Amino acid sequence: MDPAANGTDVTVDLKVNGRHETRTVPARTLLVHFVRDRLGLTGTHVGCDTTQCGACTVEVDGVAVKSCTMLAAQAGGCEITTIEGVAPGDGDGLDPVQQAFWDEHGLQCGFCTPGMVMAIRQLLRDTPVPTNDEIRHGISGNLCRCTGYQNIVAAARSAARTSTGTRRSSRADPSATSTAPAGEVS
Amino acid sequence: MYPAEFAYLRPPDLDGLYTALAQHGDGAKLIAGGQSLLPMMKLRLATPDVVVDIGGARELRGQWRTEQGVRIGAATTYRELQRSPRTLALLPGLAGALEVIADQQVRARGTVGGALAHADPTADLPAILLALDASVDLHSRQAERRLALSDFITGVFATDLRDDEVLTAVEASEPPEGSGGAYTKFEQPASHFALCGVAAVLTVEAGTVRRARVAMTGVTAMPSRLSNVERALTGCRADPAALSESATVASEGIEPLGDLHAPPEYRRHLLEVATRDAVRTAAARAGVRWSA
Repeated sequence: MDPAANGTDVTVDLKVNGRHETRTVPARTLLVHFVRDRLGLTGTHVGCDTTQCGACTVEVDGVAVKSCTMLAAQAGGCEITTIEGVAPGDGDGLDPVQQAFWDEHGLQCGFCTPGMVMAIRQLLRDTPVPTNDEIRHGISGNLCRCTGYQNIVAAARSAARTSTGTRRSSRADPSATSTAPAGEVS
Repeated sequence: MYPAEFAYLRPPDLDGLYTALAQHGDGAKLIAGGQSLLPMMKLRLATPDVVVDIGGARELRGQWRTEQGVRIGAATTYRELQRSPRTLALLPGLAGALEVIADQQVRARGTVGGALAHADPTADLPAILLALDASVDLHSRQAERRLALSDFITGVFATDLRDDEVLTAVEASEPPEGSGGAYTKFEQPASHFALCGVAAVLTVEAGTVRRARVAMTGVTAMPSRLSNVERALTGCRADPAALSESATVASEGIEPLGDLHAPPEYRRHLLEVATRDAVRTAAARAGVRWSA
């Protein structure tokens, strides 16, 4: 965006699910509203709107964040992946985490599911073979009011089994490389 | 919920931040990860005219080994720190504290400098940084100064940061050899904020505690060192009974806050329990071995 802009509108230029998007929006537009209202991608949900429930989780440059607590302007120049963008190919298939939710009956009403899927994708990138405790810690920023979490944890375990070693190399997260992150103490 | 209207600036460097602050004065607010500021803006508890994003200023990123310890750029996220094994190896107790800050999504955005400048009385990071004798670097176009973290935080959401200053870095001290650190927290389950958190960094030599740094958060208006506990620990035998005994003085002279999640008496109790756990864990990590 234009750093000299002094009005309350900003032009946000970013990539969402591989597509270039440019919109001029009020600076106060949150990323979740940008994605839902400007781009029509309503798979990302607004739940609590207070950074607690995780229903709005998307990936920004390959890292899961809560899009209700990020300005669209802050995502300028970034690559965003929403739930609509996780399935392989032309979108007919399912991401291994989505498939695992299907197999393990990891959802009931489904409201938290997009955020849960994004959170578990992050968990499995960081910890490909998590313990049950690590899974519960990983999804501690996501609330589900239906399932009691049992089948969500089972889905994460199942996804870990099917996707170990196949989903780690193509991520944009620069800190996920095997070498030290930029700027680290040397 | 939307924040009130504001203009958004993202200067490309630290100098641009100074210019924006000079132009807009106290109507301007710096934003880093926004994990604390945006929720406050959505509740209209903060209504800045201009939001100045520090994300473009590369000077604020990075970690540097110093004589004293590690200097951490203000814009470093919790997640970046968690993935910096060399920093974590030099600063005992930090890894465990980072792990229990909020959740993985918030840790991906929230920054070290943002947390300190926000000075939430229930934030985790200040406790472990107090136990690591941290200081903060504050820069303006005209001057730079360094303050001990304990002098920087002055109250509930209040710091000594001036309108024209940028918190650029925090420097944490590497404790002497033979040190171990731990952070024990009781949290509010939805927000993950600390009802009570205690950080301890102990240096143990030949079975005796030589040096103790213990700090709390979430209990009073601002995080602070527990000097009573530190005095009780220094020179004491590093055995379970003596370490546990030190925790009994934790709440002496302290008036815990109460809210709907935890009345003062409960926080007082948690303070003793968390202190006991943190000092025992820190001692164990400093190499103390005792049979169960």
